[in-house]
Order: sequence, then C-alpha cells, then structure tokens
Amino acid sequence: MHFIQALVNGILFGTTYGIAAIGLSLIFGTMRIIFLAQGTFIVFFAYVVYFLFTLLGIDPYIALVIVIPIALLLGWLMYYSIFKEAAALEDRNISLLLAVGLMYLVENIMLVAWTADPRSIVTPYTGLVFRPFEIVIPFTKLIALIIALVSTAGVYFFLKKTLIGTAVRAASEDMVSTTLMGINPNFVNAVAFAIGIGLAGISGVAFASIFPFDPGYGFTFAIKALIALALGGIGNVAGALLGGILLGVIESLASFYVGGGWADAISYGVFILVLSLRPQGITGKALKKA
Amino acid sequence: MANQLLEIKDLDVYYGDVQILRSVSMHVEEGTIVAIVGANGAGKTTLLKTISGLIKSRQGEILLAGEPLHTLGPKGIVDKGVIQVPEGRRLFSSLTIYENLRLGAYIPRSRPLFNQSLEKVFTLFPILKDRQNQKAGSLSGGEQQMLAIARAVMAQPRLLMLDEPSLGLSPILVRTIFQLITTLNEHKTTILLVEQNIHQTLKIAHHAFVLRIGRIVMDGTGSELLANDNIWKDYIGARQVKG
Repeated sequence: MHFIQALVNGILFGTTYGIAAIGLSLIFGTMRIIFLAQGTFIVFFAYVVYFLFTLLGIDPYIALVIVIPIALLLGWLMYYSIFKEAAALEDRNISLLLAVGLMYLVENIMLVAWTADPRSIVTPYTGLVFRPFEIVIPFTKLIALIIALVSTAGVYFFLKKTLIGTAVRAASEDMVSTTLMGINPNFVNAVAFAIGIGLAGISGVAFASIFPFDPGYGFTFAIKALIALALGGIGNVAGALLGGILLGVIESLASFYVGGGWADAISYGVFILVLSLRPQGITGKALKKA
Repeated sequence: MANQLLEIKDLDVYYGDVQILRSVSMHVEEGTIVAIVGANGAGKTTLLKTISGLIKSRQGEILLAGEPLHTLGPKGIVDKGVIQVPEGRRLFSSLTIYENLRLGAYIPRSRPLFNQSLEKVFTLFPILKDRQNQKAGSLSGGEQQMLAIARAVMAQPRLLMLDEPSLGLSPILVRTIFQLITTLNEHKTTILLVEQNIHQTLKIAHHAFVLRIGRIVMDGTGSELLANDNIWKDYIGARQVKG
C-alpha cells in the first residue's frame, strides 16, 4: 500500500516536471540551448499567481486565464529583445550564457522585491483530499496532473496539426532548410520561446497551488526539468512528460524507502546513469553519432 | 537580350578573406533551363547560396526581373519565388511526405494554391501520393530527391534552382531526374541547374555557363558546349564517360 501511495505521489508531482521539460525541449529544438532560466520563470509565475490571489483574491486556477497570455507574450518579447542577435551566431554558448545571466537577473530581482521568505497559497481547497481505495490524492495535485495532461495534449496538437507547429518541428531538424522554405528563423524561435515560457506560466500555477516557494528554487527546478528531459529523450513531447513522471516516481520512492535527504542525490544519480548508458533517453530513438 | 528572369552582374563573393566568386556575370532567360557546370570547388554551390541569400555578396548585383534580390534576406528571396533545392536534399526526415510538401508551400504567394500544387505534384510524382503519410526519412535516395524537388515545386517557383540533383543516384534514377527536369521546364518552370553530370546536363540545357575557380570562363548553348572539346580538357578535367 505504501508503495502504491509513493507511486501515486510521484506520478502526481512528476507531471509538473514534465511540462517544464516540454518547455525546455521546445526551446532546445530550435535554439539548441538548454534554457536554464526555465525554472526561475516558473517561480516568477508562481509569484504572479500568489499576488493575484493575495492582493486581488483571484483563484489560482482562474489565474491561468491571465497567466497564460502574459507568459506567451513575455516569451515572444524576450526572444526578440534578448536572444535574437545571439541566436543568429553559430556559437550556441552565447545564447546559453544569456539564459544563465537571465536566470540570475530574474532571481535576484525577485529576491530584492519579494525577499527570500517562502510563500504559499492557502485556498479553501488546499487541504482537500480524495481517498479512493485508501490512497491519498490531494485535490491540488490532481488538478496539477490534469493541467499537465491538457497542456501536453495542447502542445502535441499544435506541433502536429498546425502549419506553424510543423514549421517549428522542421526548424528543430534543419534550420537552414527551414529558411529555404521561406520561414523566418526568428519567427520559429520566438514561437518556441513563447510556448516554452507559456508552459512555465502553467507550471507556475500548478506549483504555487501545491508547494511553498522562494526565488532560489528556480535553478533546482530547471535542473529537475533537465533530468526529466534527459530521461524522456530530447525532441519528444510525450517523452518529456513521461520523463517528468518517471523522475517524480524515482524521487517519491527514494524519499519513502531511503529517506527524504536522499531523493535528490538518487535522482541525479539516475540522470548520470541514463545519460551514460542510454544517451538518447529512455523513450528516445537512437541519436546520430558524431 | 530577351526577357531575362535572372541577371547577375559582376558578383564577388568571399568566405572570410578567401574569394570564391570573381566578377561572375550571367543570366537566365524566362522559361529556359540554364546550367552551371564546372569541376568540384569551382564555386557552383556558392553561387546558388548567394542567389538564395544564404551567403552575402561583397560586390555586384543579382536582379530578378529587373528587381534587386541581393538586398533581400533569404526569406525575402524565397518570398519572391526563387526556390532552391539544396545539395544533399535536406528533407525534414522526421516529418511526413505530406508535411514536407506543406512546408514547401509555406510562402504567401504559394500558400493559397496549396491544393492545386499538391495535385500537380502528385501527378508528376505518383509515388509520393501513395506514401504521403510516411516519414520522409523512410524513402530511398531517389525518392528523397524527388520529394526534395516536389517540395520546391509546391512553392510555385518563378526560378527553380537545383544543386546537384543527380548526386549519389544510380544511372537509371539519374535519367529519371533529368527527364523530370525537362518535364518541369515544359510546364513553364524556369530552371537553374548546377551539376557535375555534365554530359546529361548539357543535353537538356538551353544555355550553360562554365565556372572555373570562381570565374565564368565560357558560355553557350548546351549543344555548342557539348560539341566543344576544349571545355572538357581545359576547364572541367577528364572527359566524362557518356552518362
């Protein structure tokens, strides 16, 4: 029974890693960088949700309607204002350094503006729990799972069914050839950024309604998303979600059976193990060798 | 000169400090097949990349129906209907054949004509119709080359530029590809063809330019150059076995 409970906890929380990983995967696809600031933007949007709730009394889930368009727009503007010039360079390190710089900038502004005190959102349903077959399922985590599944499906259909989504997939494979189709590289990069940050907004809502957070949590979250991405295999939406769930389950089982302090060490260990033995990820197809 | 679709005047192109094209001038008449032939490293691919805007020229002009192309970026050039099938095809191999064709018709001038173009392409390449939901990467080399050309045809090109379309194909497929180029031209597509398969190329080209170490050293009709023994000896290297 404990095993099943730990498994369920892992699945419920892992989906939040999963949507962060999908964001990383999209930005990596066209930009070829690990967008390390992803976690910091998740925390930033958690604050947005927090203030919408405490100052204006807007329910965190209703806040999605406000957060998603803001996040999409922010991602779009951020690409054109900060990353556009660096994206045109062959050396990807410049874009990566920009992401690192952006992460620390946003984190430190949040520290100054909102302090390092952990914040949490307490709604009437925060403590609400379902107990099917004596398994404890908190309402907020269940909603997080649903939000993650719906956003994954949304991104999947956008990429598969729309012309712009098809262009984003094409750009992930061959940017020069995409350019020869008359598709502006900046446009596809900006779309990838908009959706990546859009997903950070969604993760922020899910996260803020479940856990206390502070500005410093962003980097850890980005690394967790990166592990999820590595587990699932880069360039695969469903794989990224599965990778997140797998990471959630590993952490949950590790903290239950080995002890809470070991959860992170074990998940990083699995990360190294997977990348060294199966670099294409667990669900990914074989990568091209150099 | 009659109805020039593409005119290139005194084009100088460099990679860093190394000059690749030296004062290249040439022209492509509307409705014809024009070939650029020459040995490896003569600058043929560089010339196509410069026309497409992937490489910027240092000097000279490129005009499409009298309007400057060299001032535009790659997207602006494609938007004008100057479409390149790059060397090595560069298909989106994880996308389906249908998706590749859909992106071929991405530009504003061709997007509204998608259904019409698709029908044309499926008539020219029936095999693509049967396999439209397969991944492009699952096609054989010859089929991939056909898809690469079909994808460019989807754009309804004013000028179709083909970079080594016969590269790596078996002799039978090479013949099929050249037949196809002729057919496309009969459908009123103007074609600029870069090839190393010189014999076949000169047979179908209305006009050809010989490029040698970055310079145009000779030009003439396909049959003139075919009959001229010097071009083999002096400019291209050993005479090819008749292909």
